[in-house]
Amino acid sequence: MASLVGCFAASHAPLVVRDWQLLPQPVKDRFTADYQALGRRCAAVNPDVIIAVTPDHWVNFFINNLPAVCLGLGESHDGPPEPFLKDFPWQQVPGHAGLGRHIAETALDNEFEPSLSYQARLDHGLCIPLWRMELPRLPRIVPMFVNDLEPPMLSVRRCFAWGKLLAKAIASYPENLRVAILATGGLSHSIGEATMGWIDEPFDHETIKLLKQGDEGPLTAFLTPGLDKTGNGTHEVRNWIIAHAAAGNRGFDLIDYVPVPEVYVGCGFASWTVAAEQKQAA
Amino acid sequence: MTDYWLSKLLFDLQSTPALMAEYKKDRKAVMARYTLSAEAQAALLADEVVFIAPRVNPYLLRFYFSATGMKDADLIAKLRTLQEAAPKETPRKEAAHG
Repeated sequence: MASLVGCFAASHAPLVVRDWQLLPQPVKDRFTADYQALGRRCAAVNPDVIIAVTPDHWVNFFINNLPAVCLGLGESHDGPPEPFLKDFPWQQVPGHAGLGRHIAETALDNEFEPSLSYQARLDHGLCIPLWRMELPRLPRIVPMFVNDLEPPMLSVRRCFAWGKLLAKAIASYPENLRVAILATGGLSHSIGEATMGWIDEPFDHETIKLLKQGDEGPLTAFLTPGLDKTGNGTHEVRNWIIAHAAAGNRGFDLIDYVPVPEVYVGCGFASWTVAAEQKQAA
Repeated sequence: MTDYWLSKLLFDLQSTPALMAEYKKDRKAVMARYTLSAEAQAALLADEVVFIAPRVNPYLLRFYFSATGMKDADLIAKLRTLQEAAPKETPRKEAAHG
């Protein structure tokens, strides 16, 4: 049976790549250290597959057809179309159609209705962390696109439900697979709106504190109103919540939090230690 | 209020580098392929952030003005005039910016 072996989260500010040469050296050093630390933790659990919980930045979807959640079921996915990611090492990223299909079926059996894509494109939201983590080998990727860009969006409560659903789907997949979850995006940032550039550090610190405490109730109570009152990019914290719930609402360990005005983002890097019984149950 | 066709133009420009290259040479020719209001066309030609911003997704807005050569600092300054004209009911946000 498949097993969930770890959950991870990382920010993905485009300027980390696009303006890399312009960033102060201490900022570059810190990003490098944080992504590499995340990569080491991920490599240590040796995943065969990563379920990537990530936003779509108007690459796959538009407002004529905008899913709240879309699962990537393809045998492979297209690499990033953004010109500043032309050096991304993989033009095609291997998928895991079987696990993707199983997650979709498990979802539909449990009153979730995701959209499906058999040929998804992966944008900077996933590709920057995947690249900068410097994993020794590229696991297969099952993307789970979450609409974090255009309201209305998933409720925080539903994000918790999706995380539990992912854990259930992994645990019931018959193949012997080691599966990790990588949530990308967040923490606070504001893009293309009047508050562009604002990093809401108090919001980020409270979110981190509540993730460490773990409980669903306080996180839901804080984030449900809070996500609408801070920068629009912060909606990507939904992806962290999905990873958190998949990990059983426990085991959160912050690698680093660094607000970086040069890239407009309160950058967070974290992992969740998955409980042994959760691994064994799978 | 979302303007679908204005949004579609920005989306297509982001998705299709060749279209963006054409747009940079001749905005009117590309705009003519979309069902844009006269006000929207004028706003595009004049880089009127304040008109366009409430009608499109902020990420598409940021992409568009970045790709057409506006510096982020200028975009942010223009967006803030929009905020000053119609302050949001978000006390945390306003206080943090104060």
